Amino acid sequence: MIEFDEQQKRMVLKLVYYGPAMSGKTTNLLTLHDQLSLQGRGELMLLDTTEDRTIYFDLLPFFYVAPSGMKIKLKVYTVPGQVRHDATRKAVLQRADGVVFVADSQTAGMSINFESFDNLEKNLSMVGLSIEHIPLVIQFNKRDLTDIVAEEQIRSAWGPTGLPVLMASALKGWGVLETFKEVLGRTFDAVNARHALTSRFGVDKEDFLTTILTVADDV
Amino acid sequence: MIETATHIEFIIGTEKRLTDIISRAEIEPLLRSLIKAGPLSASVLDEAEQPLCRQGQDAPVPPSDEIRHNLLVEGEPKGALLITFAPDQVSAPEALALLTRDALQLIINNNLKRMLTTEVHTSVVQESYDQLVATNKQLMESEKKYRQLALSLEQQVAERTAELQKAYSRMLQQEKLAAVGGLAAGMAHEINNPNGFVRSNLVTCNRYFQKVHEMVNYYQLQIANNTPLMQLQQESDKKRRELKLDFVFADAPDLLAQSIAGSDRIARIVADLKSFSHVDESGAADADLNEELKRTLAVLAPQIPADAQIIQNLQPLPTFDCNPGLLSQSFFNVLQNALQSRSAGLVVTVASRSDDGGIKITISDNGCGIARENLPRLFEPFYTSKEVGSGTGMGLTIARDIITGAGGTLEITSTEHSGTTATILLPHGAGKR
Ligand SMILES: Nc1nc2c(ncn2[C@@H]2O[C@H](COP(=O)(O)OP(=O)(O)OP(=O)(O)O)[C@@H](O)[C@H]2O)c(=O)[nH]1
Ligand SMILES: [Mg+2]
Repeated sequence: MIEFDEQQKRMVLKLVYYGPAMSGKTTNLLTLHDQLSLQGRGELMLLDTTEDRTIYFDLLPFFYVAPSGMKIKLKVYTVPGQVRHDATRKAVLQRADGVVFVADSQTAGMSINFESFDNLEKNLSMVGLSIEHIPLVIQFNKRDLTDIVAEEQIRSAWGPTGLPVLMASALKGWGVLETFKEVLGRTFDAVNARHALTSRFGVDKEDFLTTILTVADDV
Repeated sequence: MIETATHIEFIIGTEKRLTDIISRAEIEPLLRSLIKAGPLSASVLDEAEQPLCRQGQDAPVPPSDEIRHNLLVEGEPKGALLITFAPDQVSAPEALALLTRDALQLIINNNLKRMLTTEVHTSVVQESYDQLVATNKQLMESEKKYRQLALSLEQQVAERTAELQKAYSRMLQQEKLAAVGGLAAGMAHEINNPNGFVRSNLVTCNRYFQKVHEMVNYYQLQIANNTPLMQLQQESDKKRRELKLDFVFADAPDLLAQSIAGSDRIARIVADLKSFSHVDESGAADADLNEELKRTLAVLAPQIPADAQIIQNLQPLPTFDCNPGLLSQSFFNVLQNALQSRSAGLVVTVASRSDDGGIKITISDNGCGIARENLPRLFEPFYTSKEVGSGTGMGLTIARDIITGAGGTLEITSTEHSGTTATILLPHGAGKR
């Protein structure tokens, strides 16, 4: 949680899209930006990239005002996946409320996925968060490609973790909203459990989700 | 942004106010241009509705129209653009307002982007710096550790060296003992021999003496009995023959002369040993190296094969200031090798001479020689070609150490199956140890 001001009835939440380089984190945000209505969301901010590869981060902000007057700002970040940008990943991960791990479905990408997941676990603990407790959703992206690991295989490997695993193609635009909805719902539940968003501040989960996930008219 | 004593820490995503993002100076030119297009006033208000910047008339007189647009920071309204104008004075006021708002929004977004970039950059740089500091600290600590290690290493090396030196002098002592042991066996034989016949001669002489004694007793008794002379003569002749005294008197001097010679021989052997080992001396002395060579040969005499030929070609030498006991030990080691190089038909040549370069001693044999591949290992400690148990493998090592210690050199040349030559060079003025 970046900020919570009870008097001002303001809360700033942070979601982070994590994962190995080139797995499609930035593409996820681009797709969200394209598919969701401008109402309630800010502009997508792509900080400088070199040849399409994130070097700082990307940011897609959302702003929700509950009928009760409670304001919730949601900042969705991507981290740079390249190994060398570990310090930036750590910095972006600070105070995250939820994480989407975007894995590359291609068979060649499996060991890199595991390395990156280890890196996530390590960095979470370095910024004082625990992979056991933070809302975490796994997305296997690039399902539109052919040389990919079979879904059953993925499910049998990740099933024991109990984590939600979603299939997506960020490039084609499917599975992205579902992933976002999954992590958003879980993050809301976790924050609600700690700060009684619904009972004390009159924030309704359904309204929060549908408002933020309002699909743009032209899609 | 949290500022602590040591560094600035950014939490990426902390909220910013409009006034954090844009400054009056950035907006002013835009609003000034806007006024030129006709509006009465234009202002940018912050979150608290306070004007951040304002252009145009201070208090627009009614009737006037007003257009207001929110300014967004990350999708959240965080300020507003407020434009007033007199009705029908401005053509397309709405388009003008939108244009201005978009321009402002662009400045806000770009500034925010720059700020976010700076934040990440700063926090990454800060972390790298912290890491550098930590690494540096670690390095300094490990350097300290290594320096301590190096110090204690030096000490350990010194201790080990001392230990080695002790072990080496023990080794030297053992080698000496082995040499002495070998010597003792030879000497025992050499001494036993004369001692054996000296003893047997003495036993015989003892018996002779008893016979003489008996004869004398007989005479005394007959004299006391006043035996008539004629009778005494006859009977004593008989007695003399019985005791074989004629033989005794002829043999005894030979036996005694032989015994004296034997005893002299023992005395000479002991003297050789003593002078070889220099037991009575200690430390440096002016030595005649030829004498040392001769003595060494003398003590080695028992080890010389019966048919061996020892050729001594010893030219007069100046005295050499050294520890003669040590030096003769090295001669001993080299000579012993030569003597053991062949069993039958051995010829050993011991030569010495002195020239401008110094004293040169060569000891050559016509023995088995040393295989070419073994030559480089000759002076290695514990290297031996002899059967297990017959050599310590330290002989040549010690010989060379002693000679080097005396300022000289020992070199060995050899051809397998035809012989070996050891050359000892001792420069004038060297030695003194
Ligand atoms: N075929 C296919 N390509 C994809 C998909 N998602 C992303 N890509 C492509 O993969 C490449 C990398 O995508 P990005 O979204 O930039 O990857 P990233 O995870 O942000 O990479 P970093 O910023 O380096 O960490 C781009 O060329 C995308 O077009 C997908 O679902 N299918
Ligand atoms: Mg990216």
